[in-house]
Amino acid sequence: MAISSQSFSTLKSQHPIASRSRRRRSMRPGERVALWVSRIVIWCVIVMVLLPMWFVVIASFNPSNSYISFSLFPSNASLANYKALFQGGQFWTWVRNSLVVGVVVAVAQSFITAMSAFAFSKLRFYGRKYGLMTLLLLQMFPNILAIAAFYTALAKLNMIDMLGSYILVMLGTSAFNIWLLKGYMDSIPRELDEAAVIDGATTWQRFMHVTLPLSTPMMVVIFFLTLVGIFSEYMFAGTILQSPWNYTLGVGMYNLISGQFAKNWGEFAAAALLSAVPLAIVFAVAQRYLTKGLVAGSVKG
Amino acid sequence: MATVMEMRRSHGRERAKRRVDWIAYGYLSPALVTICVLSILPIFYTIYISFTDFNQMHFLSYQFVGLKNYEELLNPHDPLSNLFLPTFIWTLVYALCTTALAYLVGLFLAVLLNNKHMRERTLYRMLLIVPWAVPNLISMLAWQGLLNDQYGQINALLHGVFGLPRIPWLTSALWARIAVIMVNVWAGFPYMMTVCLGALQSIPTDQYEAAEIDGANWWQVFRYVTMPSVWRISLPLLIPSFSYNFNNFNASYLLTGGGPPNSNNPFLGQTDILATAAYKMTLTFNRYDLGATISVLLFILVALISWVQMRYTGAFKEVDA
Repeated sequence: MAISSQSFSTLKSQHPIASRSRRRRSMRPGERVALWVSRIVIWCVIVMVLLPMWFVVIASFNPSNSYISFSLFPSNASLANYKALFQGGQFWTWVRNSLVVGVVVAVAQSFITAMSAFAFSKLRFYGRKYGLMTLLLLQMFPNILAIAAFYTALAKLNMIDMLGSYILVMLGTSAFNIWLLKGYMDSIPRELDEAAVIDGATTWQRFMHVTLPLSTPMMVVIFFLTLVGIFSEYMFAGTILQSPWNYTLGVGMYNLISGQFAKNWGEFAAAALLSAVPLAIVFAVAQRYLTKGLVAGSVKG
Repeated sequence: MATVMEMRRSHGRERAKRRVDWIAYGYLSPALVTICVLSILPIFYTIYISFTDFNQMHFLSYQFVGLKNYEELLNPHDPLSNLFLPTFIWTLVYALCTTALAYLVGLFLAVLLNNKHMRERTLYRMLLIVPWAVPNLISMLAWQGLLNDQYGQINALLHGVFGLPRIPWLTSALWARIAVIMVNVWAGFPYMMTVCLGALQSIPTDQYEAAEIDGANWWQVFRYVTMPSVWRISLPLLIPSFSYNFNNFNASYLLTGGGPPNSNNPFLGQTDILATAAYKMTLTFNRYDLGATISVLLFILVALISWVQMRYTGAFKEVDA
């Protein structure tokens, strides 16, 4: 199947006149069967993949969540769950906390990442060759595994249950982001940077006025990935933040559902929908650039 | 590297040395400081704790106990070895199954979608990517509700439509393990699919033409043209995803909480992986010493995996350039 479609496309490029109708006619019977079989398989997979998410959507509109029976559409849809969520008042506090932490961390990390990526991409220094590799290896060990160290250190410093300490812990730079951005900066034509050097630009000017503006797309991706990352971080937030008014969205939602499923399922579903949709859209936009970078990176290697 | 060597030859050593931009360390310093304080320091502190008896009983006056924690966890005759070895085996099984299944599903769908005659494939692709786009935390918690054996919609569906008995998804050891793997394949296949599609589309068409001229059948083309290229491109991304799953907290902690409980192990449940074991030992049982020791052992394992991966795949190779 793959072969026929691929060779077909070259055939088409050899005969640019070939119209859409001709392209259809030239499908052999075997290909037509293969096409419909793959369509049906894909439809089945899509239903299996999306049905669970649809259940969450239904649950968010279902006012009575004491007993849940199977249905494809909410029987007596209402916004009761959303109302309850907003009246509780906590939801917006959690969103605000997540936004505060997310924006502070994402701004700081984007800038730190940009500076190091610039150094790795455009400057010469001792340790350039193995530096990034070492950092990448080091971060195969996620911070959260040092939880005993983080927790006891924060407890001794009396810094538990503070939004500030959570921000501090999350500030750790991701070597992977540096690697990603460095790859992007490498693709900026060298001539631009050299022209700036000849014009007598300082390193800072080369960074701020040449490299950084040209790296904007990847910077945006890194910013949003960090922001979304904060929204889906639970382990540190759940450890450090202990009062309900300090909860981030993740911790709040965890407490909504765990152990009190029957009571809060509808409210949880409403909160999940409200937060997942904007984040999913951001992600969908960001991942397009990200996968391009990922695949380009490994093709190069 | 080559240009530097040439330059050395033509301009001499001093010239090459003068090209070092010392200011680079200034640009690197913010990253180095945060990495030192938030990655390296905690790792060293963790290693240090793993050699002490630091726990709730000895919060202020802990002592150095040497390798005692490691002996307890690794010696099969010690009761505490229940903490490590079964959890380690389950972690391996879980990470291998999740990565392999997600890859197979992703590759399968990518091959189906890579069909020029299927003109609506962009739509399919967008729909299939949804599990990846929903933040992992939210989808794992949602699955916890969906798989509830009393009220969950999955059992309602299986019971109402297919007439199957209620499956104890999160309360029986076997089903909980199946559920954890299943849900993580659900969450992980879109990434693999995207990577495989990218790889499929990067295969030059002349390779297919050559295969067709040689009279290769569908399977031979797939086996000798498609797979080698896809494999070469996806392997560097496949193995990091294995080490990611190896430490994937959300997978078991948010879905099952590590449960159901284990009869011969008071601390850990049936679906706890090593990472959640370290977390629980620290925060639930205040055994910082054992939590740190599990973390160090995990660190050694992850380092080994990473080393093997870098060695055999050449991932991140262009970092040397």
